[in-house]
Amino acid sequence: MMVLRRLLRKRWVLGVVFGLSLIYFLTSTLKQEERSTRDRTLLEVKDTDHRIPWKVRFNLGNSSRQMTQCRNSIQGKTLLTDELGYVCERKNLLVNGCCNVNAPSSRQYICKSCLANGCCSIYEYCVSCCLQPDKQRLLERFLNRAAEGFQNLFTAVEDHFELCLAKCRTSSQSVQHENTYRNPQAKYCYGESPPELLPV
Amino acid sequence: MLLLPVWVSMLFGLLVGFLPLVGMEPMGAVKFDSDHTLNPKPLLSSSESNCSQLTLKVEFSSKVVEHEYIIGFTGYFSAKARSLYISSALRNAADEGLEWHIVPRENPASDFPSDFELVHICQASSSSLRTLEDHPYIKRVTKQRKVFPPESAAPCNNTQVTQKWQSWQSSRPFRRTSLSLGSGFWHATGRHSSRRLLRAIPRHVAQILQADVLWQMGHTGSGVKVAVFDTGLSEKHPHFKNVKERTNWTNEKTLDDGLGHGTFVAGVIASMRECQGFAPDSELHIFRVFTNNQVSYTSWFLDAFNYAILKKIDVLNLSIGGPDFMDHPFVDKVWELTANRVIMVSAIGNDGPLYGTLNNPADQMDVIGVGGIDFEDNIARFSSRGMTTWELPWGYGRVKPDIVTYGSGVRGSGMKEGCRSLSGTSVASPVVAGAVTLLASTVLNRELVNPASMKQALIASARRLPGVNMFEQGHGKLDLIRAYQILNSYRPQASLSPSYIDLTECPYMWPYCSQPIYYGGMPTIVNVTILNGMGVTGRIVDKPIWQPYLPQNGDHIDVAVSHSPVLWPWSGYLAVSISVAKKAASWEGIAQGHVIVTVASPAENDVGSELTSTVKLPIKVKIVPTPPRSKRVLWDQYHNLRYPPGYFPRDNLRMKNDPLDWNGDHIHTNFRDMYQHLRSMGYFVEVLGAPLTCFDASQYGTLLMVDSEEEYFPEEITKLRRDIDNGLSLIIFSDWYNTSVMRKVKFYDENTRQWWMPDTGGANVPALNDLISVWGMAFSDGLYEGDFTLADHDMYYASGCSIARFPEDGIVIAKKLKDQGLEVLKQETAVVEGVPILGLYQTPSDGGGRIVLYGDSNCIDDSHRQKDCFWLLDALLQYTSYSMTPSSLSHSHSRVAAPTGNERLLPQRLEGNHLYRYSKVLEAHLGDPKPRPLPACPHLSWAKPQPVNETAPSNLWKHQKLLSVDLDKVALPHAKVYRPQVRPLSPGESGAWDIPGGIMPGRYNQEVGQTIPVFAFLGAMVVLSFFVVQLTKVKSKPKRRKPRVKRPTYLQQQQTMTTGKNPTV
Repeated sequence: MMVLRRLLRKRWVLGVVFGLSLIYFLTSTLKQEERSTRDRTLLEVKDTDHRIPWKVRFNLGNSSRQMTQCRNSIQGKTLLTDELGYVCERKNLLVNGCCNVNAPSSRQYICKSCLANGCCSIYEYCVSCCLQPDKQRLLERFLNRAAEGFQNLFTAVEDHFELCLAKCRTSSQSVQHENTYRNPQAKYCYGESPPELLPV
Repeated sequence: MLLLPVWVSMLFGLLVGFLPLVGMEPMGAVKFDSDHTLNPKPLLSSSESNCSQLTLKVEFSSKVVEHEYIIGFTGYFSAKARSLYISSALRNAADEGLEWHIVPRENPASDFPSDFELVHICQASSSSLRTLEDHPYIKRVTKQRKVFPPESAAPCNNTQVTQKWQSWQSSRPFRRTSLSLGSGFWHATGRHSSRRLLRAIPRHVAQILQADVLWQMGHTGSGVKVAVFDTGLSEKHPHFKNVKERTNWTNEKTLDDGLGHGTFVAGVIASMRECQGFAPDSELHIFRVFTNNQVSYTSWFLDAFNYAILKKIDVLNLSIGGPDFMDHPFVDKVWELTANRVIMVSAIGNDGPLYGTLNNPADQMDVIGVGGIDFEDNIARFSSRGMTTWELPWGYGRVKPDIVTYGSGVRGSGMKEGCRSLSGTSVASPVVAGAVTLLASTVLNRELVNPASMKQALIASARRLPGVNMFEQGHGKLDLIRAYQILNSYRPQASLSPSYIDLTECPYMWPYCSQPIYYGGMPTIVNVTILNGMGVTGRIVDKPIWQPYLPQNGDHIDVAVSHSPVLWPWSGYLAVSISVAKKAASWEGIAQGHVIVTVASPAENDVGSELTSTVKLPIKVKIVPTPPRSKRVLWDQYHNLRYPPGYFPRDNLRMKNDPLDWNGDHIHTNFRDMYQHLRSMGYFVEVLGAPLTCFDASQYGTLLMVDSEEEYFPEEITKLRRDIDNGLSLIIFSDWYNTSVMRKVKFYDENTRQWWMPDTGGANVPALNDLISVWGMAFSDGLYEGDFTLADHDMYYASGCSIARFPEDGIVIAKKLKDQGLEVLKQETAVVEGVPILGLYQTPSDGGGRIVLYGDSNCIDDSHRQKDCFWLLDALLQYTSYSMTPSSLSHSHSRVAAPTGNERLLPQRLEGNHLYRYSKVLEAHLGDPKPRPLPACPHLSWAKPQPVNETAPSNLWKHQKLLSVDLDKVALPHAKVYRPQVRPLSPGESGAWDIPGGIMPGRYNQEVGQTIPVFAFLGAMVVLSFFVVQLTKVKSKPKRRKPRVKRPTYLQQQQTMTTGKNPTV
């Protein structure tokens, strides 16, 4: 016992013990952070001061830049929106995935069918409208405040285009009584508020 | 290294599977003759279409072997252990002088553990057998059966469970050396009802489907992203090596699986040890969308689906389903996923063997809908049957499921570890999802893999099960190796499902083959699905072309084709209506021809150009001369409404767990048995999908209106009166309608989070009363139930109404029944004497028709039927069609004077009902809903025939495969309310739902996990501050006092460490 007591009196021993526990503490907390990136729970405790680590990068340069390869909205029946915000018919899609800018029907940043509350009746126009540079502030506000319950989705979004693709899709915000749209006419929303509830 | 155990277990599997053959009568090389001959006879003679000439060729009988019993165990045990269990179970019985011994099985498999034992017991009493069965490790005791070759032709069984006959291809080696097509022992699609012993096969489904062949070639699903939408998965499950991500979309704060459903499903897809999955190297994305109470909402799914699109998931398994195909947000989202190239695989539902029980989303065109079979290739009883009911009443249902695979007693991962076996279509779905994942990883050019091409490959390669119709098996049983071959020689193209229309082929093309077509009949509609592997969108170029084969009387039929304006996503419909030309009104024979469809999609590699693909749809029909009016029965489909979208309650109020009427009320869904019966009696049954104003009454003997929920246009009422005056007869099977009971059966729907009030009763009695009031008839609002005897037949009246008013000269039968209304409303039992339930009436006008009313439809409906009354329907049709008054009814003791209906008020429509929302007749108006204007009758534009001088092969099926895929040339190296679809297991089946007790609530864990860092940090701060204090003390205080203060420090540190060590989340 005496040996132990003596040993404990030594400052360096205590320092080592402290150091070890500090290392253990740090590794375990870091480990947990790491896991929380992999296992996401939708309904985490929401505190108002908590800033979500958005990865979204907005392209601040002018969007008329030349792209060699474009991502586009893939799914459309007849229309597609590319990442530069052009909406075109499928037949005017270039091999690199971009819309043919010279085609007469191709239009950039078009808000056709969109209402004042940011809800549109055609998905492709919603994405195009959402890609307008001036919508950036609205989207940032949405990400910071209105994105409750969407953290899984919107923390995985990487840039403006992905954000718009994801934001315009119908979601839990689009329905009432689960199995009906709040507004079947304008259900694709880039704005902060859910579609306006239509009376039955 | 991995392959050795695989081979050993495979060999073991074969041996055990082979075992039942040993010690039995030699089976002989009986080969199943799949080349069927055409049946020129009208199907009138066959009482059940499932019993075709196909199945009559090879027949066996079986006999119980005396004193020999098969004892099935709950698991696999060694010979010694099995002997021990049996002797311990029979110890008491042995004291009473029971003699028994184990029948030795001398075969190589006897060294391996087995789950059954053959025991010889002399004079076994039922009590001794019961003691055996009571033993904890003994699952069942069955009598040994011996199989004999045929002695005499066995009659066809007209039962729900159809007899299945086996083909035994014993001429082939029982080993997997090289893989030529069709050599797979496990793919022998024949079976025999007596051969139950095959249950002893260790059911490693991946190996049974020959996934090991692809594994050996180095394909293990790597690089393919699979999403499992289910109950979650625990973090450190030993079976999974590549769980990329787990996400939770429920209101429970856990990612772990508390039920075992999601773990099982994930295991079938990607387990790497014990019970192996198909694609162990695939990237698993676990989406927890069900709570431990099996609750889920559309909104959770929508958000989770969006995430799956963002993550670019390749294959998505949905072992879930519900009847609500009108849930537009959900259905649209599934389309959206498919449009984003996500291959959707879903379980068809566990509501079989009833027809019309398909679940959404598996019933969608773009989704691969999977049905279940057992290991003897019988369609599993629980597996939901087609057709789709979206298209009713105007059109006709699509063929679903798409394919079937093993879904009964399949082994998969247990919740924490180990394996267990489960049954259900949610088991079959991951089998296909796993296979699809594995297949996708074999394709070099991944661009070619899309929802359509994958489905095309699975469908084209599937092996058809003999004796099973297309609404049960779809295209047949999954064949992984053939799908591999097709996919790897695939070129983008369009294809059709079904790929041909042979209305003579029985039983596969049931119900088409059950009734030939004739001039003047309602057009026969075949709803074909177009799969377009060329692109997410497509269109049909010009108009489909109808080319009748002149040598084969193709000009005797007229064909009309309608199709989706845009084929999206990756699919569309092609509705083919077939009618007999006037010139063949009295002709009998077979007519053939084909429809040519050209599909075009924008080419991705070439701006402005299109890919095109031309598909030929062969058509073959049997034409008979138009039957006489008396033999023709018209079924009114137009006035049948169902769930979804509205709440239309069950016709039988005792069925509380299935409150909705959702099977379509069609002669090919839940009135299938009635249809079959009428066919066997020689009646021709046609379906009216339009208002009553749209048919020529002079053609039909009887109009059958069963369980109608819809209202009637005023024009319909007038027309029907005129028709009946002119000789049409009418049979109405009504049902209950009582506003108090309707208010009582409202319920809170968990899924839509709102109260549901029925919009009608079992039938819309007030509407029916409007229709029949002119003859002085009416149904009451009474609600009766009970057993009775009518004309020496046992009958059951399940929640029906009574006749309130009937003409004096009619025949009225009354019975003693229980007042179920009183029971539902006040929980009192009262028996009412003389309830008028059946009425027969001959209208007075010259040549006028007859009218029959019966107050309950349950006895002709397949769903929840207890006793059928097809005999009564026969008698009533005899009366309506031939004016033959059944003496058993007219001279019955139960005959009473016609009720005048003055004592009781007739039922009134429930105030505030929302029927107008779902009605084709009513529309909302200020005040009461009013009828809409009468819609125009459907008009078909017949395709202009372009006759060709061609002849079609006699067997259309064999010649309809995918273009440019020659299987022989592809060389093979030698070398799987939304609710989880697990059905409750029946007794005697292993692996029940073991809902675990004592699971830590996820919420608790989550909270502890989040508070730990805070505590640890505080602890560390305390230590740090202590040290700071200590350092300052060192300089001022004497050294001796230190030890006393230091001790708590040490303890403090220890505490910090222990709290820090609890990172369990």
